[in-house]
Amino acid sequence: MTSVAAGMLGQVLLMLTAVAAALLTSSRWRSRVSGILCALLAGAGVVTGALALFGGRGSLTIPTALPLDPLVLSPDRLGGLVMLVVSVVGLLASLFGIGSARVASASRTAWVSMAVFLFGMQLVPAATDVVSFLLFWEIMTLGSTALLLAHHATRGTVASALVWYSAMSQLSFFFVVAGFAVLAGVTGGTGFAALATLDPASWQASLAFVLLLLGFGGKAELVPLHVWVPRVLPEAPGHVAAAMSGAMVNIGVYGALLVCVRLLPNGPAWWGVLVMALGAVSALYGILQASVASNLKVLLAYSTTENMGLVFLGLGASVLLRGDHATGAADAALLAALLLMVSHAAFKATLFLGAGAVARSTGEMNLDRLGGLGSRMPWTAAAFGAAALGAAALPVTGGFVAEWMLLQALVHGSRVGGEVVSVTASVAMPLAVAVIALTAGLALLTFVKAYGIAFLARPRSVKAKQAREVPVIMRVPLAIGAILVVGLGLLPGPLAEALASALGPAFRPDVRTIGLAGIDARGIDVVLDPTTLLALAAVLLVPVLMAVLASARRHPTRVSPLPWAGGGSRLRPRMQYTATSYAEPLVRVFDDVLRPTRDVEVTHVGESRYLVERVHVEQSVSDVIETRLYRPVLILAQRFGVRARRAQNGSIHRYLSYSFLALLVVLIVVSL
Amino acid sequence: MFDTVYPQLIGLCTGALLLTSALMVWRHSLLASIRLLSAQGFALAALVAVIGVEEGAAEVIIVSVLVLLVKGMGLPWVLAHETRATTRTDEAPRLNPTAGLLTVALLTILSYVVASRLLRDDSSVSAHAAGIGLAMVLIGFLLLVTRRQAGSQLIGFLVLDNGIATVAFLTSGGVPLFLELGISLDVLLVVVILYVFAGRMRNKFGNTDIDQLRKLHD
Repeated sequence: MTSVAAGMLGQVLLMLTAVAAALLTSSRWRSRVSGILCALLAGAGVVTGALALFGGRGSLTIPTALPLDPLVLSPDRLGGLVMLVVSVVGLLASLFGIGSARVASASRTAWVSMAVFLFGMQLVPAATDVVSFLLFWEIMTLGSTALLLAHHATRGTVASALVWYSAMSQLSFFFVVAGFAVLAGVTGGTGFAALATLDPASWQASLAFVLLLLGFGGKAELVPLHVWVPRVLPEAPGHVAAAMSGAMVNIGVYGALLVCVRLLPNGPAWWGVLVMALGAVSALYGILQASVASNLKVLLAYSTTENMGLVFLGLGASVLLRGDHATGAADAALLAALLLMVSHAAFKATLFLGAGAVARSTGEMNLDRLGGLGSRMPWTAAAFGAAALGAAALPVTGGFVAEWMLLQALVHGSRVGGEVVSVTASVAMPLAVAVIALTAGLALLTFVKAYGIAFLARPRSVKAKQAREVPVIMRVPLAIGAILVVGLGLLPGPLAEALASALGPAFRPDVRTIGLAGIDARGIDVVLDPTTLLALAAVLLVPVLMAVLASARRHPTRVSPLPWAGGGSRLRPRMQYTATSYAEPLVRVFDDVLRPTRDVEVTHVGESRYLVERVHVEQSVSDVIETRLYRPVLILAQRFGVRARRAQNGSIHRYLSYSFLALLVVLIVVSL
Repeated sequence: MFDTVYPQLIGLCTGALLLTSALMVWRHSLLASIRLLSAQGFALAALVAVIGVEEGAAEVIIVSVLVLLVKGMGLPWVLAHETRATTRTDEAPRLNPTAGLLTVALLTILSYVVASRLLRDDSSVSAHAAGIGLAMVLIGFLLLVTRRQAGSQLIGFLVLDNGIATVAFLTSGGVPLFLELGISLDVLLVVVILYVFAGRMRNKFGNTDIDQLRKLHD
């Protein structure tokens, strides 16, 4: 047995142990024992994934009673990469859970389903055939559903959120099954190797591609299948949200990669345009909703939609460019998608863990009631800040490298050697660049708001004022997450080489490490070396900084009283910007898209029309796609349900008549 | 001598079966229906006996005696006993007699068409008569759908069962003795249970109109 196979077997055993431990231990020890076992399970995934990523081979065969081939688990390099990424997030989430899990999230159900969820998620990328892929996919979905269900008793809104989640999960599962069914029906096999024999130019391939794209896009929280995200993730505790939004979305990306790279490579150009459009709409819509959200977890949830949109944008660009034979740019776009997936996992997990820490200390997720946490929770603030830099794609983080790479690929994509590659590409690429530019700008605004309103300034509520730093066991995963975010940005060269090797052999972006772990993308002739730049900047900045400090020491600071304070001499927290007021200009600009509902309530003093006692302003932004796309469908379904109830009126005679008619119809059909 | 009489006897017995079934749709009185059911039981027993003599199988003769005892005497006696003791109202079916008889005619035609398609390769006399069995099944079902009282429903169910037995005897020379014994006991059990159930209904609601049973209770 090879080490990869042993690693997978270890994951199976650890999952069973974790389930047993969660069931058997008392509530006092449960979080510690189960958390450690879940962390070990994720650790086994990290080791197995890393081994597979660097070329290790091994397989685990599960015989079944079904009339199919046995289920074979054998991760290739790409599968190993995804397993590694989701396991690292799972590890951080498990460690965080040891400290943060309380009441409902420390229940038996919660820890059992956490282990099952992690297990399913880690083994989806190891599947080599449709049946095992779908099996682990459903284990993952069911595990996450049960994990959320554990909080049903404490919060009333969980039930409706879960109905959305289950419905959308099953919808995307349906698309995935339908897509695989088309492939399997045409090729006659269920192994991925057999499915890959289908000609991408055939109409069946296109049908399967669209179905699979919708299915995997749903898991990756893309518009229009994202509606569960802003409902479910705010209900989940921090570590669960981190595992879902940091890790589970990567399984959706993996599915899309599987289709574009392994099963149906070299598809027609319109596939690429379709994926790009889906990604672009998701990116814009996600960041727009995030920028106006005032609930921290809703903001982070929509930001996931944005990042996954960018990943799909890169993926679509690579399909389109490959169809136009601009291989260098195509591979660079694919690499950018992978870079973004990896760095998104790091920063989004850290952000959600940070949000979990804030929720634990203050019990508050509304940004309008937070503030001043920076001095009260310095560790959390630092980690959240580093991750927010990554999410805003600012330098020295993985997010920056990924978006830089994506922009470079798109900029170099429309021309190869001075020749225009195709009309489609020359239209799509500049548009995509514009989308990324707008997205990046809004992302910056969003995360300035998220960090600035929550952690800086003065506390806006008593709860925020009384916040305390979280215990060490929760600080450790936060710190590791922040280090990963920055580390991925400082060492892009080795990272890109590893990612490029994962894509091989047919797709192999030509990248090398250059300078101090910098990245040299030869396919499109660009170089980025953040560490060297940072060192250079340090060399330049240190003398300046020293000079500034020296001059500051010579001139003691003068303290002057406020010359004028608008009638009041004391600054109060209510005078500060809130998340809602910060986003107000944006809401006005994008009024047509966001369609916010405002409720202004003015209380007058006595009979006077001019003297105002109190003004109450409430603004809520609903999900347009939910209200415009899903509500009509739901209303239609409900109408059908009401009609159908007439057929089921409880009369025994009616049911007997149905059987009688059915029998008559069968007899008539038989005799025809 | 028997060879020439055999088809006629089969025709006579199956004719009696169909006639009794059709009459059950026509008659409203529960007691009359029970008498017809008894007659149907006798006809079925005669049919089984004829098949037994033709095949020279002693086992089938024993089955025919069993059928006579259970379907011709036992079940109708139980039903009549209970009905006399309890029921005062007659059936008001959901289908008037004329429409009922018309439907019976249509169902019989359909059964013949289906049976002739299904048993295309079997040219024996009994196979030709198998349509009657199918028609009885459908007529039994029709009784179930159109009758309101629990007692009449039970009769419909028994006609359906007789129809199944008829098809079984005509197409494959009957089922093994033990199986037939088991089926008869099952039917007896169902009848007893349904009668207990109907009695409880009557105690609770004052009648046995199943149209009033529309809601589920814990």
